[in-house]
Amino acid sequence: MAVLPDLSVDIGDLKLKNPVITASGTFGYGTELTPFFDPSLLGAIIVKGLSLRPMPGNPPPRIAETPCGLLNAIGLANIGIQAFIEEKLPVLTKIEAPVITNIYGHTVKEYADLAKKIEKVEGIAAIEINISCPNVEKGGIAFGTDPDTAAAVTERVVNNTTKPVIVKLAPNVTDITTIATAVESVGAKAISVTNTILGMAVDVTTRLPKLANIVGGLSGPAIKPIALYLVHKVVAAVTIPVIGLGGIMDYRDALEFLLVGARAIQVGTANFVNPKTAIEIVHGLTDFCSREKVSNINQIIGGLKTM
Amino acid sequence: MLADQSLVLKAPRYTFGYGKKMVEETVALKSNQQIGKNIWLMEFRSTLLASHAKPGQFLMVHLGERTKDPLLRRPFSIHGIQEGDKVMILYNVVGAGTSLLSSLKEHDIISVIGPLGNGFALPRPSERAILVGGGIGLAPLFFLAQVLQKDQRNTVTLFLGFSTSQEVVRIQQLEELGVNLSLTTEDGSLGFKGIVTDLLDQRLSNKGPIKSVIYACGPPQMLKKVAQKATTLSLRSYVSLEGYMACGLGICLGCAVKAAHGETKPYYYVCQDGPVFPSGMIDWEVL
Ligand SMILES: Cc1cc2nc3c(=O)[nH]c(=O)nc-3n(C[C@H](O)[C@H](O)[C@H](O)COP(=O)(O)OP(=O)(O)OC[C@H]3O[C@@H](n4cnc5c(N)ncnc54)[C@H](O)[C@@H]3O)c2cc1C
Ligand SMILES: Cc1cc2nc3c(=O)[nH]c(=O)nc-3n(C[C@H](O)[C@H](O)[C@H](O)COP(=O)(O)O)c2cc1C
Ligand code: FES
Repeated sequence: MAVLPDLSVDIGDLKLKNPVITASGTFGYGTELTPFFDPSLLGAIIVKGLSLRPMPGNPPPRIAETPCGLLNAIGLANIGIQAFIEEKLPVLTKIEAPVITNIYGHTVKEYADLAKKIEKVEGIAAIEINISCPNVEKGGIAFGTDPDTAAAVTERVVNNTTKPVIVKLAPNVTDITTIATAVESVGAKAISVTNTILGMAVDVTTRLPKLANIVGGLSGPAIKPIALYLVHKVVAAVTIPVIGLGGIMDYRDALEFLLVGARAIQVGTANFVNPKTAIEIVHGLTDFCSREKVSNINQIIGGLKTM
Repeated sequence: MLADQSLVLKAPRYTFGYGKKMVEETVALKSNQQIGKNIWLMEFRSTLLASHAKPGQFLMVHLGERTKDPLLRRPFSIHGIQEGDKVMILYNVVGAGTSLLSSLKEHDIISVIGPLGNGFALPRPSERAILVGGGIGLAPLFFLAQVLQKDQRNTVTLFLGFSTSQEVVRIQQLEELGVNLSLTTEDGSLGFKGIVTDLLDQRLSNKGPIKSVIYACGPPQMLKKVAQKATTLSLRSYVSLEGYMACGLGICLGCAVKAAHGETKPYYYVCQDGPVFPSGMIDWEVL
């Protein structure tokens, strides 16, 4: 019998049985897609972005489709950390894959408070921090657009938890590597690249924006080349592992990110189109490695050749 | 072939989600035909979907091959079930996705997920069911009429409004079901001239001797009037809403509708909490 390829990867101290993770906001609270597959087979699960208090989210329309892409302005609607811990986590912990919580705040202190709360509960393997949201103390400018603010948030979270901290970068910046190195220097254990890219769409008949929020975040295949480029740049700038995402629809897309140097990948918008995407990517990577006689996925990671 | 047989789906050791039956199935079309102005009827066979579906539930349909443009699945109500396992979708061609759908032929393959959402709460025995549809809003009401007529426990009255006679479809099939049918067209080319809620106003001027329940699907303005009418006559009413959906599965939180004041949540999600809602749950000011 052929020996199966080893798909396991390490994200710092976090050991994943394969590099396939579901992206925040596209996999609910982790159990909604169980009618389609067993999430225990995934590398890890990242749940919907959580805040200190429940958030209602934006008025509709919250989504609009654009060529090969999805624009969303959900407004980070979520049930709040407390309800998550009480209602969702007990079932989630039955899943045999690490559960990563994604968090966001409106002030640096809110991030720190979230980290403190999460630190006390079992069953959460790591914290991913979303820094693409507005900092109310700095006139609503996103935390992730300024290296100092990004570092300040990361540091406060790192100081309040023993769990590995992953920072999810915002792409709407002049030089993403300055943010990446800033968060690395204060103790981030990994970096996720990328969050959605700001965008708009207009209905020419009504002359209204297609989103009630006017602007939204673009995701899906439309952003894949940009995401790959950003991963490529960040991989070159830091020594901590980089998790790549943006427009991954199948195992070939995943391989592109791995070749560019991502240690793991996340599946986002694709979950909406085909709820089995993540598990099909696990299967696809297994088959690919077998076919290509790759015994360990780490032989692919960063394997981009030059012309 | 899968390299790792251990990765083949084993039944999860837990069931959560919403405890609802839903499947993803690849089906071959039995037929897909234009039956009115921009209106098409699609049919395929699925024992699983047909046996679990309830009137008011919907399907997320992937358009042919896994295209990246259009990217997302499109939601469609289940229009009816026939011959045991034949599932029908009645749809309006309005944009890129539905025109792609209309280009599919017999034997072409689509992927469907369903049945999704909550269906219509059926009337109690002896209650009169009043169905009000505007345009393509007929889609889920046909299925409801099918089920009610099969059970034979309720009188079914159907009010349907269209803008013009060329849009009027499925009338013969509705008559075969034996429902009391009233038609309106805005241009007067068929039936009562005007909008369907005007006719409803005329016919339903008072509560009447038999208790009625209203079921409505159509444009938001129509639903709003129906909801007001139901409130005035203190009748129960259920509306089937649309919302922009990315997933249909409760994971994107895209399909929000504002909940009425005093409800426990600020928003309801059409794919999970609906698409059928008691009309009192919705904030009609902002719909
Ligand atoms: C639960 C549910 C059940 C539905 N059932 C049916 C049905 O049985 N038959 C049917 O014909 N249609 C139904 N619809 C609407 C149908 O999903 C849309 O018409 C379809 O997605 C349009 O796709 P498109 O690519 O052709 O158009 P697009 O190019 O996406 O859009 C074309 C136009 O339609 C509008 N539109 C698109 N999607 C929606 C939406 N979800 N709600 C309101 N307006 C929209 C856009 O604003 C635009 O003006 C249903 C929608 C929902 C949410
Ligand atoms: C509907 C929706 C909701 C999202 N919610 C969150 C969130 O709560 N927190 C977060 O960090 N990212 C969120 N994202 C961003 C995704 O996790 C991901 O970074 C982005 O969509 C790019 O990947 P994709 O192209 O594979 O979707 C959301 C994306 C979408 C489409
Ligand atoms: S459509 Fe995604 S949550 Fe309802």
